[in-house]
Amino acid sequence: MSHPEEVQQKIDAYLMQLRRSLGELPPDEVSEILKEIRGHILERAEASGELTEERLVAILKALGSPEQIAPLYQADALVARARSSLSPRVVMRGIHRWSTLSAWGFVLFVLGVVGYATGAALALTGLLKIFAPSQVGAWVGPHAFFEIGVINDPTAHDVLGWWLVPLGLVGGPALILATTRVLRWTLRFARIRRPTTA
Amino acid sequence: MAPNVGSTPSENWETQVRKGWLDLVILASLWKEKLYGLDIIRRLEAHSDLLLSEGTIYPILGRLKRDGLIDSEWVESDAGHPRKYYWLTPSGRRRAAAMARYTKTFFARIDSLIEPVLAKEER
Repeated sequence: MSHPEEVQQKIDAYLMQLRRSLGELPPDEVSEILKEIRGHILERAEASGELTEERLVAILKALGSPEQIAPLYQADALVARARSSLSPRVVMRGIHRWSTLSAWGFVLFVLGVVGYATGAALALTGLLKIFAPSQVGAWVGPHAFFEIGVINDPTAHDVLGWWLVPLGLVGGPALILATTRVLRWTLRFARIRRPTTA
Repeated sequence: MAPNVGSTPSENWETQVRKGWLDLVILASLWKEKLYGLDIIRRLEAHSDLLLSEGTIYPILGRLKRDGLIDSEWVESDAGHPRKYYWLTPSGRRRAAAMARYTKTFFARIDSLIEPVLAKEER
């Protein structure tokens, strides 16, 4: 069934906008979604007899704007992928998506940032200790309560010594892994807004 | 920041309640037969006013599929474009049954609690 050109253009423009809005999803998922939505529009159009521009506007309005629909796909898809991933990047993307939806998500996003940053810093410190043992350490002194890292304070002394190397190199990645585990676990509850159908 | 799609202070309680029931009514609509998206939408239109914008049904179908409650398949149609048909998986059937039972009991209990409110309004 062919439609007047301006009507066809409007459908294409809608689908293009949806494609753009779905940007973060894998391409095969995006084309699957577009195929389904396209079918919806075409079928609604066919049911309405002669497809005028006015009629199409009504169909698209009932469908909802691409900006309205796309986040619904992303929230679910990103969270679903994050739930089964070990990659901090994927997990954090899922958490970030969730954080835009609920206060809990936001708290977890902050927790994630802190957890990963601390883990990475710890691992880095452990590594640096090998190359600059006299500057890197876990310092305690009059001006330092317990500071891990590089310090410019001659009164402080290093309480961990070489122990910082295994501690950082094992503890850092362990903290990163633990953060991932905790975030993934919490993502199982990421559908808190459907209490009536749980 | 991404557009807000969930609960916002401005979103009223009615919207929230409607959203909450969608999973159940979608699963229930597939109880007897395979349907494609627009089929499901038409069914919901005929029996409820749960659907706010038609497009919201497709992401939900995607999620129900990821959760293993439904499965889908593209089928060529006379309409000239393929349709994506959905049906309940065994675990989807179990879930739909459990949700339906729960809902029934839930409303039976709530009914008696809200009775005074309605009685007063009618007076």
